[in-house]
Amino acid sequence: MKRLILRLPGPMPVKIALFAAIVIVALVGLFFFYDWIGTSLLDTGGTIS
Amino acid sequence: MQTESTGTLVTMIDETKGSAQFANTAQGRPAEGRRGRKLTRVVRGVGWTSIGLGLFILGFVAQQLFVTTYFAQQANVGLTAEAQVYFADVEISEVPYEPPLGSLVPGDPVNIPTPGVPSPTVLVEAKPEIGDAFAIIRIPSIERLQEGWAVVEGVSRRTLRAGAGHMPSTPLPGQPGNSVISGHRTTYGAPFHELDTLVEGDIIEVETALGIHIYSVTGIEIVTPRDLWVIEDRGGATLTLTTCHPKFSSRQRLVVFAELIEGPNAEAILGV
Repeated sequence: MKRLILRLPGPMPVKIALFAAIVIVALVGLFFFYDWIGTSLLDTGGTIS
Repeated sequence: MQTESTGTLVTMIDETKGSAQFANTAQGRPAEGRRGRKLTRVVRGVGWTSIGLGLFILGFVAQQLFVTTYFAQQANVGLTAEAQVYFADVEISEVPYEPPLGSLVPGDPVNIPTPGVPSPTVLVEAKPEIGDAFAIIRIPSIERLQEGWAVVEGVSRRTLRAGAGHMPSTPLPGQPGNSVISGHRTTYGAPFHELDTLVEGDIIEVETALGIHIYSVTGIEIVTPRDLWVIEDRGGATLTLTTCHPKFSSRQRLVVFAELIEGPNAEAILGV
Protein backbone atom coordinates (compact mmCIF):
# COMPACT_ATOMS: atom_id res chain seq x y z
CA MET A 1 0.00 0.00 0.00
CA LYS A 2 2.85 2.33 0.91
CA ARG A 3 4.50 1.55 -2.41
CA LEU A 4 1.24 2.30 -4.25
CA ILE A 5 0.92 5.70 -2.55
CA LEU A 6 4.51 6.58 -3.38
CA ARG A 7 3.98 5.71 -7.03
CA LEU A 8 1.16 8.28 -7.37
CA PRO A 9 2.10 11.64 -8.95
CA GLY A 10 2.55 14.93 -7.11
CA PRO A 11 3.74 15.90 -3.66
CA MET A 12 2.81 13.79 -0.62
CA PRO A 13 -0.51 15.55 0.27
CA VAL A 14 -1.65 15.13 -3.35
CA LYS A 15 -0.61 11.47 -3.31
CA ILE A 16 -2.65 10.89 -0.14
CA ALA A 17 -5.68 12.73 -1.51
CA LEU A 18 -5.47 10.73 -4.76
CA PHE A 19 -5.17 7.49 -2.84
CA ALA A 20 -8.21 8.37 -0.72
CA ALA A 21 -10.19 9.16 -3.90
CA ILE A 22 -9.16 5.83 -5.47
CA VAL A 23 -10.23 3.95 -2.32
CA ILE A 24 -13.62 5.70 -2.24
CA VAL A 25 -14.28 5.02 -5.93
CA ALA A 26 -13.23 1.37 -5.47
CA LEU A 27 -15.53 0.95 -2.46
CA VAL A 28 -18.49 2.50 -4.28
CA GLY A 29 -17.81 0.24 -7.28
CA LEU A 30 -17.56 -2.76 -4.99
CA PHE A 31 -20.87 -1.80 -3.34
CA PHE A 32 -22.64 -1.74 -6.72
CA PHE A 33 -20.99 -5.01 -7.72
CA TYR A 34 -22.17 -6.65 -4.49
CA ASP A 35 -25.64 -5.25 -5.10
CA TRP A 36 -25.69 -6.65 -8.62
CA ILE A 37 -24.57 -10.13 -7.51
CA GLY A 38 -27.03 -10.09 -4.62
CA THR A 39 -30.06 -9.11 -6.66
CA SER A 40 -29.11 -11.54 -9.44
CA LEU A 41 -28.33 -14.65 -7.44
CA LEU A 42 -29.16 -14.35 -3.75
CA ASP A 43 -32.52 -12.57 -3.64
CA THR A 44 -34.09 -11.08 -6.74
CA GLY A 45 -37.13 -9.83 -4.89
CA GLY A 46 -39.27 -12.83 -5.75
CA THR A 47 -40.72 -11.53 -8.98
CA ILE A 48 -42.46 -13.81 -11.46
CA SER A 49 -41.58 -13.09 -15.08
CA MET B 1 20.62 -9.27 3.83
CA GLN B 2 18.78 -11.29 1.22
CA THR B 3 21.12 -14.25 1.70
CA GLU B 4 20.57 -13.98 5.42
CA SER B 5 16.76 -14.13 5.11
CA THR B 6 16.94 -16.96 2.61
CA GLY B 7 19.22 -18.78 4.96
CA THR B 8 16.74 -18.30 7.79
CA LEU B 9 13.88 -19.63 5.65
CA VAL B 10 15.78 -22.67 4.59
CA THR B 11 16.95 -23.25 8.15
CA MET B 12 13.26 -23.24 9.13
CA ILE B 13 12.52 -25.79 6.42
CA ASP B 14 15.53 -27.74 7.67
CA GLU B 15 14.11 -27.78 11.21
CA THR B 16 10.79 -29.14 10.04
CA LYS B 17 12.34 -31.72 7.80
CA GLY B 18 15.00 -32.67 10.29
CA SER B 19 17.74 -32.75 7.66
CA ALA B 20 21.09 -30.96 7.63
CA GLN B 21 21.40 -31.24 3.89
CA PHE B 22 19.05 -28.31 3.18
CA ALA B 23 20.92 -25.90 5.42
CA ASN B 24 24.20 -26.66 3.77
CA THR B 25 22.59 -26.32 0.37
CA ALA B 26 21.17 -22.83 1.13
CA GLN B 27 24.49 -21.39 2.04
CA GLY B 28 26.35 -23.14 -0.70
CA ARG B 29 24.18 -23.52 -3.77
CA PRO B 30 22.50 -20.46 -5.37
CA ALA B 31 20.02 -22.66 -7.33
CA GLU B 32 18.46 -23.95 -4.13
CA GLY B 33 18.28 -20.41 -2.74
CA ARG B 34 16.40 -19.24 -5.82
CA ARG B 35 13.95 -22.09 -5.38
CA GLY B 36 13.45 -21.07 -1.76
CA ARG B 37 12.74 -17.46 -2.73
CA LYS B 38 10.30 -18.61 -5.38
CA LEU B 39 8.51 -20.78 -2.84
CA THR B 40 8.32 -17.84 -0.42
CA ARG B 41 6.82 -15.69 -3.14
CA VAL B 42 4.22 -18.33 -4.02
CA VAL B 43 3.26 -18.91 -0.38
CA ARG B 44 3.01 -15.16 0.18
CA GLY B 45 0.90 -14.76 -2.97
CA VAL B 46 -1.48 -17.54 -1.96
CA GLY B 47 -1.74 -16.04 1.50
CA TRP B 48 -2.59 -12.54 0.30
CA THR B 49 -5.04 -13.90 -2.29
CA SER B 50 -6.82 -15.89 0.42
CA ILE B 51 -7.00 -12.84 2.68
CA GLY B 52 -8.34 -10.75 -0.21
CA LEU B 53 -10.91 -13.36 -1.15
CA GLY B 54 -11.99 -13.72 2.47
CA LEU B 55 -12.43 -9.96 2.84
CA PHE B 56 -14.37 -9.85 -0.45
CA ILE B 57 -16.79 -12.57 0.74
CA LEU B 58 -17.08 -11.03 4.20
CA GLY B 59 -17.82 -7.66 2.62
CA PHE B 60 -20.46 -9.22 0.38
CA VAL B 61 -22.24 -10.93 3.28
CA ALA B 62 -22.10 -7.77 5.39
CA GLN B 63 -23.38 -5.62 2.52
CA GLN B 64 -26.22 -7.98 1.67
CA LEU B 65 -27.41 -8.79 5.16
CA PHE B 66 -26.79 -5.60 7.09
CA VAL B 67 -26.22 -2.65 4.76
CA THR B 68 -29.19 -3.35 2.45
CA THR B 69 -31.43 -4.05 5.45
CA TYR B 70 -30.38 -0.84 7.17
CA PHE B 71 -31.15 1.25 4.08
CA ALA B 72 -34.43 -0.59 3.38
CA GLN B 73 -35.62 -0.06 6.94
CA GLN B 74 -34.73 3.62 6.76
CA ALA B 75 -36.51 3.86 3.40
CA ASN B 76 -39.53 2.03 4.78
CA VAL B 77 -40.01 4.61 7.53
CA GLY B 78 -40.06 7.39 4.94
CA LEU B 79 -42.24 5.44 2.51
CA THR B 80 -44.82 4.59 5.18
CA ALA B 81 -45.17 8.30 5.90
CA GLU B 82 -45.29 8.95 2.16
CA ALA B 83 -48.09 6.40 1.79
CA GLN B 84 -50.17 8.21 4.41
CA VAL B 85 -49.84 11.41 2.38
CA TYR B 86 -50.70 9.47 -0.78
CA PHE B 87 -53.88 8.11 0.86
CA ALA B 88 -55.08 11.65 1.50
CA ASP B 89 -54.24 12.96 -1.97
CA VAL B 90 -55.25 10.21 -4.39
CA GLU B 91 -58.36 10.51 -6.49
CA ILE B 92 -61.09 7.95 -5.69
CA SER B 93 -64.10 7.20 -7.88
CA GLU B 94 -67.05 4.83 -7.72
CA VAL B 95 -67.67 2.65 -10.74
CA PRO B 96 -70.20 -0.10 -11.51
CA TYR B 97 -68.80 -3.55 -10.90
CA GLU B 98 -69.38 -5.92 -13.74
CA PRO B 99 -68.14 -9.37 -12.81
CA PRO B 100 -66.73 -11.60 -15.52
CA LEU B 101 -69.38 -13.73 -17.21
CA GLY B 102 -67.71 -16.84 -15.91
CA SER B 103 -66.71 -20.08 -17.50
CA LEU B 104 -67.99 -21.21 -20.87
CA VAL B 105 -67.68 -24.85 -19.80
CA PRO B 106 -71.17 -26.48 -19.63
CA GLY B 107 -72.25 -26.97 -16.03
CA ASP B 108 -70.02 -24.20 -14.59
CA PRO B 109 -71.73 -21.16 -13.02
CA VAL B 110 -72.30 -18.21 -15.34
CA ASN B 111 -72.86 -14.63 -14.14
CA ILE B 112 -75.72 -13.13 -16.15
CA PRO B 113 -76.78 -9.61 -15.09
CA THR B 114 -80.42 -9.48 -13.97
CA PRO B 115 -82.41 -6.90 -16.01
CA GLY B 116 -83.64 -3.98 -13.93
CA VAL B 117 -81.29 -4.68 -11.03
CA PRO B 118 -78.53 -2.04 -10.83
CA SER B 119 -74.97 -3.32 -10.82
CA PRO B 120 -73.12 -3.01 -7.52
CA THR B 121 -70.41 -0.39 -7.38
CA VAL B 122 -66.80 -0.59 -6.32
CA LEU B 123 -64.40 2.12 -5.22
CA VAL B 124 -61.48 2.63 -7.54
CA GLU B 125 -58.37 4.69 -6.91
CA ALA B 126 -56.13 6.27 -9.54
CA LYS B 127 -53.18 4.10 -10.55
CA PRO B 128 -49.99 5.11 -8.75
CA GLU B 129 -46.83 6.12 -10.59
CA ILE B 130 -43.88 3.72 -10.61
CA GLY B 131 -42.00 4.14 -7.34
CA ASP B 132 -44.95 5.63 -5.43
CA ALA B 133 -45.61 4.18 -1.98
CA PHE B 134 -49.35 3.58 -2.28
CA ALA B 135 -50.13 0.81 0.23
CA ILE B 136 -49.08 -0.70 3.54
CA ILE B 137 -49.11 -4.45 4.08
CA ARG B 138 -49.58 -5.97 7.54
CA ILE B 139 -49.55 -9.63 8.50
CA PRO B 140 -50.43 -10.04 12.19
CA SER B 141 -48.93 -13.54 12.43
CA ILE B 142 -45.50 -12.36 11.18
CA GLU B 143 -43.66 -10.21 13.71
CA ARG B 144 -41.77 -7.99 11.29
CA LEU B 145 -44.96 -7.24 9.35
CA GLN B 146 -47.18 -6.47 12.31
CA GLU B 147 -46.34 -2.77 12.19
CA GLY B 148 -46.70 -2.69 8.42
CA TRP B 149 -44.39 -2.45 5.43
CA ALA B 150 -44.79 0.08 2.63
CA VAL B 151 -45.63 -1.29 -0.81
CA VAL B 152 -44.35 0.67 -3.80
CA GLU B 153 -45.58 0.50 -7.36
CA GLY B 154 -43.27 -1.54 -9.58
CA VAL B 155 -41.13 -4.66 -9.28
CA SER B 156 -37.86 -3.49 -10.83
CA ARG B 157 -34.59 -3.91 -8.91
CA ARG B 158 -34.69 -0.26 -8.03
CA THR B 159 -38.25 -0.17 -6.70
CA LEU B 160 -37.79 -3.41 -4.78
CA ARG B 161 -34.89 -1.88 -2.85
CA ALA B 162 -37.59 -0.59 -0.52
CA GLY B 163 -38.56 -4.20 0.19
CA ALA B 164 -41.95 -4.89 -1.41
CA GLY B 165 -43.45 -3.91 -4.74
CA HIS B 166 -46.75 -4.26 -6.58
CA MET B 167 -46.71 -5.76 -10.06
CA PRO B 168 -48.07 -2.90 -12.24
CA SER B 169 -49.83 -5.22 -14.71
CA THR B 170 -52.11 -6.57 -11.97
CA PRO B 171 -55.02 -4.81 -10.20
CA LEU B 172 -54.38 -2.78 -7.06
CA PRO B 173 -55.15 -4.48 -3.73
CA GLY B 174 -58.83 -4.33 -2.90
CA GLN B 175 -59.85 -4.24 -6.57
CA PRO B 176 -61.48 -7.10 -8.49
CA GLY B 177 -58.86 -9.46 -9.92
CA ASN B 178 -55.56 -10.86 -8.73
CA SER B 179 -53.25 -8.31 -7.13
CA VAL B 180 -49.62 -9.42 -6.96
CA ILE B 181 -47.04 -8.12 -4.48
CA SER B 182 -43.41 -9.30 -4.56
CA GLY B 183 -40.85 -8.82 -1.83
CA HIS B 184 -37.31 -9.63 -0.74
CA ARG B 185 -36.81 -12.61 1.52
CA THR B 186 -33.26 -12.28 2.82
CA THR B 187 -31.99 -8.83 1.85
CA TYR B 188 -33.35 -5.24 1.73
CA GLY B 189 -35.15 -5.59 5.04
CA ALA B 190 -36.47 -9.01 4.05
CA PRO B 191 -40.16 -8.18 4.56
CA PHE B 192 -41.21 -11.63 3.28
CA HIS B 193 -38.60 -13.57 5.26
CA GLU B 194 -41.15 -15.62 7.19
CA LEU B 195 -43.81 -15.94 4.51
CA ASP B 196 -43.40 -19.73 4.66
CA THR B 197 -44.82 -19.77 8.20
CA LEU B 198 -48.26 -18.66 6.98
CA VAL B 199 -51.03 -21.24 7.09
CA GLU B 200 -54.47 -21.40 5.55
CA GLY B 201 -56.80 -18.91 7.23
CA ASP B 202 -54.07 -16.45 8.33
CA ILE B 203 -54.96 -12.81 7.81
CA ILE B 204 -53.20 -10.39 5.47
CA GLU B 205 -54.20 -6.73 5.65
CA VAL B 206 -53.45 -4.26 2.91
CA GLU B 207 -54.19 -0.61 3.56
CA THR B 208 -54.76 1.60 0.54
CA ALA B 209 -56.41 4.97 -0.03
CA LEU B 210 -59.77 3.13 -0.08
CA GLY B 211 -59.33 1.64 3.40
CA ILE B 212 -58.13 -1.65 4.83
CA HIS B 213 -58.63 -4.76 2.69
CA ILE B 214 -58.53 -8.01 4.63
CA TYR B 215 -57.47 -11.20 2.89
CA SER B 216 -57.44 -14.76 4.16
CA VAL B 217 -54.64 -17.14 3.11
CA THR B 218 -55.94 -19.97 0.94
CA GLY B 219 -52.70 -21.75 0.07
CA ILE B 220 -48.93 -21.72 -0.34
CA GLU B 221 -46.96 -23.16 -3.25
CA ILE B 222 -43.38 -23.42 -4.43
CA VAL B 223 -43.06 -22.64 -8.14
CA THR B 224 -40.39 -21.68 -10.66
CA PRO B 225 -39.75 -17.99 -11.45
CA ARG B 226 -41.41 -18.54 -14.85
CA ASP B 227 -44.71 -19.95 -13.56
CA LEU B 228 -46.83 -17.11 -14.85
CA TRP B 229 -50.11 -18.87 -13.96
CA VAL B 230 -49.74 -17.64 -10.36
CA ILE B 231 -50.42 -14.06 -11.46
CA GLU B 232 -53.49 -14.91 -13.53
CA ASP B 233 -56.96 -13.78 -12.50
CA ARG B 234 -58.66 -16.40 -10.31
CA GLY B 235 -62.03 -14.65 -10.14
CA GLY B 236 -63.28 -12.40 -7.32
CA ALA B 237 -60.62 -10.36 -5.55
CA THR B 238 -57.44 -12.20 -4.65
CA LEU B 239 -53.98 -11.34 -3.44
CA THR B 240 -50.79 -13.18 -4.38
CA LEU B 241 -47.53 -12.63 -2.50
CA THR B 242 -44.33 -13.87 -4.12
CA THR B 243 -40.80 -14.13 -2.78
CA CYS B 244 -37.57 -16.06 -3.38
CA HIS B 245 -37.21 -19.66 -2.28
CA PRO B 246 -35.29 -21.24 -0.65
CA LYS B 247 -33.80 -18.58 1.59
CA PHE B 248 -30.54 -17.15 0.17
CA SER B 249 -31.37 -18.40 -3.32
CA SER B 250 -33.47 -17.14 -6.19
CA ARG B 251 -33.86 -20.57 -7.75
CA GLN B 252 -37.60 -20.87 -6.97
CA ARG B 253 -40.51 -18.78 -5.76
CA LEU B 254 -42.63 -19.13 -2.64
CA VAL B 255 -46.15 -18.04 -3.48
CA VAL B 256 -48.92 -17.26 -1.00
CA PHE B 257 -52.48 -17.14 -2.29
CA ALA B 258 -55.18 -15.22 -0.43
CA GLU B 259 -58.73 -14.09 -1.07
CA LEU B 260 -60.55 -10.93 -0.05
CA ILE B 261 -62.91 -11.45 2.87
CA GLU B 262 -63.49 -7.94 4.15
CA GLY B 263 -62.97 -4.35 3.02
CA PRO B 264 -64.52 -1.40 1.25
CA ASN B 265 -65.15 -3.42 -1.95
CA ALA B 266 -65.70 -6.86 -0.40
CA GLU B 267 -69.48 -6.65 -0.29
CA ALA B 268 -69.83 -5.67 -3.94
CA ILE B 269 -67.32 -8.22 -5.21
CA LEU B 270 -68.26 -11.13 -2.97
CA GLY B 271 -72.00 -10.44 -3.09
CA VAL B 272 -72.20 -11.21 -6.80
